[in-house]
Amino acid sequence: MAGLNGVTISILLFGIGLLGVIFRRDLVVKLLALGLINSAAILCLVSLGARPDGAPPILVPPTATAIVDPLPQAIVLSAIVINFAILALALVFVMLLVERYHTTDSHRIERETAAEEEPWD
Amino acid sequence: MRRAPIGLILAGFGLTAAFCVVVLLGFGFSAPQGAGVERSPDVDRWIEVARQTGAVNVVSAIYLDARLFDTLLEVLVFAVAVLGVRFYLTARGRAEPVESIPESSVVRVAANILLPLILLVGIYITVHGHISPGGGFSGGVIAGSGLLLAAIALGTDAVAARFSRRLSDRLEWGALLGILLVAAVPILFGRAPLSNLLPAGIPGRIGSGGSILLYNGLIGLKVFIGSWVIVRHFVDHRGDI
Repeated sequence: MAGLNGVTISILLFGIGLLGVIFRRDLVVKLLALGLINSAAILCLVSLGARPDGAPPILVPPTATAIVDPLPQAIVLSAIVINFAILALALVFVMLLVERYHTTDSHRIERETAAEEEPWD
Repeated sequence: MRRAPIGLILAGFGLTAAFCVVVLLGFGFSAPQGAGVERSPDVDRWIEVARQTGAVNVVSAIYLDARLFDTLLEVLVFAVAVLGVRFYLTARGRAEPVESIPESSVVRVAANILLPLILLVGIYITVHGHISPGGGFSGGVIAGSGLLLAAIALGTDAVAARFSRRLSDRLEWGALLGILLVAAVPILFGRAPLSNLLPAGIPGRIGSGGSILLYNGLIGLKVFIGSWVIVRHFVDHRGDI
């Protein structure tokens, strides 16, 4: 299992999430897949900064011979918060759509919005 | 009846996962260090960062000191998300109140005992953000999910009755204003904005890290109340949890 590190796992998770966003019809499942993509990005960034003998980047007492790179961990915090914001807002919009069309199926919502559109002339 | 236990399990699961992460990171201190192993040069660089800011948690030192600008915008993104949830769900009005099914007394008593403990853990993780794993964001979310747990067990209205709505609104936006003020105040003293005005202190002590403790506390307050506002509006819109 030499090639099985955080980066390859994150590429795998990213692919699963992307397929879910594209091919699943349920809007809530689409959002879950979007969360999976975000987790994959976080895993990728954090494992890029990892090293096999690295201690956590907390220097009490400052005797560690090697620590993992704290910079990706600090940057990844933004990704987590922004993912939270996206999920909360997207869930609100899904709730509004469900209230109007009584389904979370994206195909049915698209059909019904197409039927609602007025003809051009 | 089926909904509530699932939500309860989810909340418990989230809390447990958060604790596991914190505990795992906490035990990472005792990393093995071989006798004759060379210390890698980047450790000295990060020790220098920790010495300058006074925060031994280098991640905190980065995102609340060196890259504070990122964190400010991140807090603004969070505030806009809370505002968006509030705006879109308030415009739709309240749903028909659903008859809430009372939980068993075991769950209610346990939630009443657990709530202050969870809030305490949240506060602890918030104020120790610069010397141990944690910080304002994670501490605020832990305290917020404690409220979610209580809302599931006791009912949202019972929990909401303990919080004055006006006070929590003021605290939420006051915390945001406070973060911006703490960031802007160094201008008055002839320093660059966003710079760390307070003394660095002795690294490892609770009073070290200068403004980092202030930022962590304000961000924790903001995230705590913000996540409660989101939960509250979702519940109001559906009628019950």
